[in-house]
Amino acid sequence: MKGDISLSCRDIERYLGEAEERVHALRGVSLDVKAGSLHAVVGPSGCGKSTLLYILGLLDEPDAGSVQIGSTPISHLLDEELARRRNELIGFIFQFHFLMEDFTAQENVMIPMRRLGQMNEDEMRDRAAALLKGVDLGNKLNRQSRHLSGGEQQRVAIARALANDPQVILADEPTGNLDTGNSQRAFELLANIVRERAKALLLVTHNRFIADACDWVHEMKDGRIIVSHPHGERISV
Amino acid sequence: MTAPLYIALRFATHRKRALFLSLVGVVFGVGIFICTQAQTQGFAQFFIDSTIGSNGALTLQARFQPRYEGMVVSAKTKGGTSQRRNYFEGITNVSEIMRVSRQFSNVIACSPVLRGSVSARAGFENTTAELFGIDPTSHLRTTDLAKQIVDGKFDDFRNNTSSVIIGNRLADLLHVGPGDAVQLLSPGGEYWRFDVAAITRSGVTAIDSARIYAHAQVAQRLLKKPYQASMIIYKLRDPGRAPTLASHFEDLFQHSAQSWQAREEGNLQIFTTLRMSVAITVSLIILLAGFGIFNVLTMSVLSKIREIAILRSMGYRRIDITAIFLWQGALIATVGSLLGCALGALMTWGVSHIPIHIRGLLYANYFLVDWDWRHYLWATILAIISVFIASYVPARRAAQLQPVDTLRGSSL
Repeated sequence: MKGDISLSCRDIERYLGEAEERVHALRGVSLDVKAGSLHAVVGPSGCGKSTLLYILGLLDEPDAGSVQIGSTPISHLLDEELARRRNELIGFIFQFHFLMEDFTAQENVMIPMRRLGQMNEDEMRDRAAALLKGVDLGNKLNRQSRHLSGGEQQRVAIARALANDPQVILADEPTGNLDTGNSQRAFELLANIVRERAKALLLVTHNRFIADACDWVHEMKDGRIIVSHPHGERISV
Repeated sequence: MTAPLYIALRFATHRKRALFLSLVGVVFGVGIFICTQAQTQGFAQFFIDSTIGSNGALTLQARFQPRYEGMVVSAKTKGGTSQRRNYFEGITNVSEIMRVSRQFSNVIACSPVLRGSVSARAGFENTTAELFGIDPTSHLRTTDLAKQIVDGKFDDFRNNTSSVIIGNRLADLLHVGPGDAVQLLSPGGEYWRFDVAAITRSGVTAIDSARIYAHAQVAQRLLKKPYQASMIIYKLRDPGRAPTLASHFEDLFQHSAQSWQAREEGNLQIFTTLRMSVAITVSLIILLAGFGIFNVLTMSVLSKIREIAILRSMGYRRIDITAIFLWQGALIATVGSLLGCALGALMTWGVSHIPIHIRGLLYANYFLVDWDWRHYLWATILAIISVFIASYVPARRAAQLQPVDTLRGSSL
């Protein structure tokens, strides 16, 4: 429901690397993301943005602290259970879209649905088609993803992230590989979907204009969130 | 269709050349395994069929009497020595033994034979022969003698007590054929004249170069034997159980009994050794195909690292990733085995039409093959095991990949 906290983390600590190369990547990061809100994480390279994103996306485990999706605390779960939650609750969007090149746009969107296993083949096809129509790709359902333009591929990735109707969408520089026009279109599309469907969006970006358009901007430095701005406030980095 | 299977099929068809090479390895491995087994088994089976068809699956021979030893045992004598026997030539009470034998479910037919050595003469040729005095009717039911006749007629033998059937190699040696005369030397030193009614070829050289069949009563008079039969030969429903029945008959009838396995032990060992040798060689071919598949799937894993990370980020479990690559292996094993079986059958058929000239242990003009479904089963099992092992390591490796390392990596 809009306004409820969809994603939160408390006191996240994460070390990366071994022995002498060990880096303290996250130092007590806490965050709340409400349904229907857009949150941007900004900061210089190596400040821990992606590490935070992967921990929130249950792809990596924190050395300390807790993650909660909806009302369910996610900690110390087996890999199988984490995978199930990822499939049901989280949609990922990556900078390089990461589509299966040999799959068509429709097949790419169906991949998370196949794992969920709650729909038959026809239902999955219909849902994938509807999602692709929602991102203006209704006429390119059967085109192999390698034959789509960069902007189109990113829209397929957005549709794929929504395939299992997740509570949370995590995006790692979703417009980082697009030109200005396509960046703007992809972000607006994502923002509309998040607001209309009451999803929680957390995106990592270097794009100041996109960050400015989010409801919240969290600035990170040296593994910490040093400041969080509501919509419209200037970003210091 | 499960998600891993669907993705496995898509991944497999993506790398068509690698898939094709893997398939070729399995197809040829399975095909060659089947073909070589069919050949070696073919020669062995031909020998077994021939020897059973000529000498029966079981023979009951000399009567024996256990020799009981005294209670006093020498200090140097080891315990558990084999039972000592006194043997007496010939079968006593032939009719009664045959009547009781027929009560056994495994016995199809039995026939008495009076066997002895004679000297055979025709024209200027002279050689030693093995005379089989038989009852034509019961012998026909017990052996393949009628099928083995290559010249002349069995009925001519049946209707003429002074006729004989001669093995083809012996007939060649004596330069005789149906209608010719042959003389057999009795132990009394007199030659008896017989008409050659038919020529037989069992395919086993040892039989074809020495055997002469005559009527039992005539053979008894010629050999001057006091008994009707020196052995009884048996046709069994399940020749594989001949050793058990032989042991049972020995206890029951107090006559020595010998199964065809014991009788032909030496030759069977040669065939078994040959089959094992060929099987090991061909298994190595399948193993090499397995290495090929291992390489192909390892390369597939390396080229799909990004896809694996994507799948993991979308909620695919480690077991799903393992399953994707195991399914690819299963696909190769299934299609490869099916095509390999077809190739094996084709090669076996082709080999069976290759002319050869074997006149040694066996008689054959073409490669002998045995069409046995078990060759196909074993080849398939071997291929599946080999491919599974070859697939498992890359599949496990794929499952262990950390998606974060890939997603974070700069190479993407």
